[in-house]
Amino acid sequence: MNKFKTMAPESRRVLYAIAAAVALFLLGQAVHPGFLGLASVESILVIASFVGLVAAGQCFVILIGGIDLSVPWVLNAGAIVLTTTSLGLESRAPIAIVAALAMGIVVGAINGAGVAIFGIPAVVMTLAMNGIIEGLVLGLTGGFTCSACSSYAPPFVQALAHDSLLGVPDALLLWLVVIVLVTLALNITRFGRATYALGNNPRAAVLAGIDARGMTIMLYAASGFFAALAGILLVGFGGQASLGMGDPYLFTSIAAVVIGGVNILGGRGHYLGVAAGAVSLTVLVSVLLALNMPDYVRSIAYGVVILGLLLAYGRERET
Amino acid sequence: MLATPAVAAIAARSVSKSFGGVKALISASIAISPGSVHALVGENGAGKSTLIKILGGRITPDAGSVTIDGEPAHSGIAASRRHGIGTVFQELTLLPFMTVAENLLLGREPRGRFGLIDRAAMPDVAERELAALGITHIDPRALTADIALAERQIIEIARVILAKPRILLLDEPTSALVEREVAWLFGQIRALRDGGTGIVFTSHRWGEIAAIADRITIFRNGSDVGCFDSIDEDEAITLMTGRQLEALFPVRTPAPAKPPVLTLRGVRAEGIAPLDLALSSGEILGIGGLAGHGHRSLFFGLFGAPGFTQGEIKQDGRAIRIRSPRDAIRAGIALVPEDRKSEGLFLPLKIRDNLTLPILARLSRFGAIRRGAERSLVDDTIAQLAIRTPSPSQPVGVLSGGNQQKVLLGRWLLTKARILLLYDVTRGVDVATKHEIYDLVAKLAREGYAILFYSSDAEELAHLCHRVLVMRRGAFVADLPGADLTAEAIVSAAMRESAHAA
Repeated sequence: MNKFKTMAPESRRVLYAIAAAVALFLLGQAVHPGFLGLASVESILVIASFVGLVAAGQCFVILIGGIDLSVPWVLNAGAIVLTTTSLGLESRAPIAIVAALAMGIVVGAINGAGVAIFGIPAVVMTLAMNGIIEGLVLGLTGGFTCSACSSYAPPFVQALAHDSLLGVPDALLLWLVVIVLVTLALNITRFGRATYALGNNPRAAVLAGIDARGMTIMLYAASGFFAALAGILLVGFGGQASLGMGDPYLFTSIAAVVIGGVNILGGRGHYLGVAAGAVSLTVLVSVLLALNMPDYVRSIAYGVVILGLLLAYGRERET
Repeated sequence: MLATPAVAAIAARSVSKSFGGVKALISASIAISPGSVHALVGENGAGKSTLIKILGGRITPDAGSVTIDGEPAHSGIAASRRHGIGTVFQELTLLPFMTVAENLLLGREPRGRFGLIDRAAMPDVAERELAALGITHIDPRALTADIALAERQIIEIARVILAKPRILLLDEPTSALVEREVAWLFGQIRALRDGGTGIVFTSHRWGEIAAIADRITIFRNGSDVGCFDSIDEDEAITLMTGRQLEALFPVRTPAPAKPPVLTLRGVRAEGIAPLDLALSSGEILGIGGLAGHGHRSLFFGLFGAPGFTQGEIKQDGRAIRIRSPRDAIRAGIALVPEDRKSEGLFLPLKIRDNLTLPILARLSRFGAIRRGAERSLVDDTIAQLAIRTPSPSQPVGVLSGGNQQKVLLGRWLLTKARILLLYDVTRGVDVATKHEIYDLVAKLAREGYAILFYSSDAEELAHLCHRVLVMRRGAFVADLPGADLTAEAIVSAAMRESAHAA
């Protein structure tokens, strides 16, 4: 208990986020017996992994005091690039995956360049980018009427979203790898130290020799990469791409980051908490579904619970 | 000296205060008579700021009581305003993106029709009020973020003085001011004192305390250890630190006659004329002069933040380019800036992270930090510089000002930079830590570091440097050799219209 009290607040918040996820699972079991069954938990975690991947990129940019509002259409474009490039053919899967991820990285890097080099506020830059990508997608696909538009994801990508290895879904394994890699990157690498330094005090970071522009571009590129990666998995999960499939991921990715205890102004927080935040949000939706609530009640309850969690954080004293 | 009247204007009796287990004040007492200036002196962390916040009603003591005119005082901002208490805190409280006039008149803006704020009248009202205090060099229409630190401090003080406080609490009000501005402040303090205001004043500059204080209370480790009408500096330092301090400044060793490691020829930047300068290894070259005369552009230009617009920089005879701090660091140049909180340190981050940030490339393999190597390097630095902390995992923000400064110095010593740009590194640092920093600077020079040393304290320049260049309006106006150098010589060179007049 003593150790808990002396922990840094952002580390304590990781525990809160995990506790919230566990509590919501138990609540689900209480209102709907069978909620904690293996299949049910697995499917919730797979859906959480999509949120978690987008939130990984969001976490990077929020750590330096930025934000990425372009994730919905970068995700959507990633899914569409994958299906239209592969045309559902297994042989074209590798090139399609590379093309989708490269698109995400390039769009993210442009976001980063706009913020770091031209000094455009992140909110404006990434929101404009979201609109630009939406327009490009609609224009290039003729309003999503092109013949390639109805292609399915290649079998390999569909398997990635549905199959299991040793009883654990592949998508979940992929997310676990991402959790480990992102946590290591933030905690034991130069890249991580530079990220936290920039988020805490950009001026001092530059005066300590950190390449602020390069770092900012890299972090936004990472966000684009993760959004596109989530798009690939999501189209594998659903089979076909559709317009607007990325829309729910803007709010959930930011909410997961904040519930995970990352300071929205940058500089403090851990991806482990963000992952727990993604799980909490997904469980919450499942619980509300299990309660058979009408759509509008679900929306209200979702918003109220998130505000409640954040209020609970706000009561904690900053040190 | 004044006889203490029976009833103090404000008094604290046996107040104690702890912050998360750290005892900031332990049964401290003080009584301030009306119409007197009472100086609080002590090292950083002795409890002066905490006591001032308690007197000002900003924090409530865990034990003990505060009385005003003998009556128990209420805590809180509204109550302290009712009691007529005005406080100037160490941290500036002005709103950066409002104008000087808006800040000055905050909460008492001139009203026009329908009780709406008369914005058009504000600059004129502010200008009149400032002029009445003798301030004519600050434009009330300017954005607060755009005026110099010293000017912001003056506005901060003016805002409090204009409320005509019965009790005035000043926590290190002079740390950002130069002599002329300090003289202005002392004029205001004397006028208020003669009008019956009880004044509390803290400063790390002994000369100021000797000049203004009617009574002096010395603090050590959270308690008052003595109260005097007058006391000499040596005695005061002994009481403050609990030990005898040898001479504050280290013995000056002659600068070795070596070819310069760094030469500047005709460098220009905003606010500086073309400058020439040569710096040798083992030399402490002082840069003096009044604030706002181009020192900052020189130091930051040499560090590439931003770089010089013109001119030539040569290192060991080779021309080099410094366009960013990265270039400077690569060339073995380090800058310790004046404002360590905004330009140096990452306060919420660990001491370790603050120390090793510029050298992580050296400490990493394939991008991953070698934690063992880092750990031993950090432990060595903490031991070498006597940084007082229980562990390298402490956030830098919880350290005292002097220890924070040592972390910043330690960071740059780890880079193996051979050219150190020290920009007012002892500002706001207590006397014992100042002494340690002087010793360190002298030792580094003996080890062959080339040190460019700017200070707003002429005394420091006179005793520490081998040579002092005095800047005025962006140009060097005097080159004073170190032997027999006095602070007066530096100040008069800085103020004199023509450098060659004497």
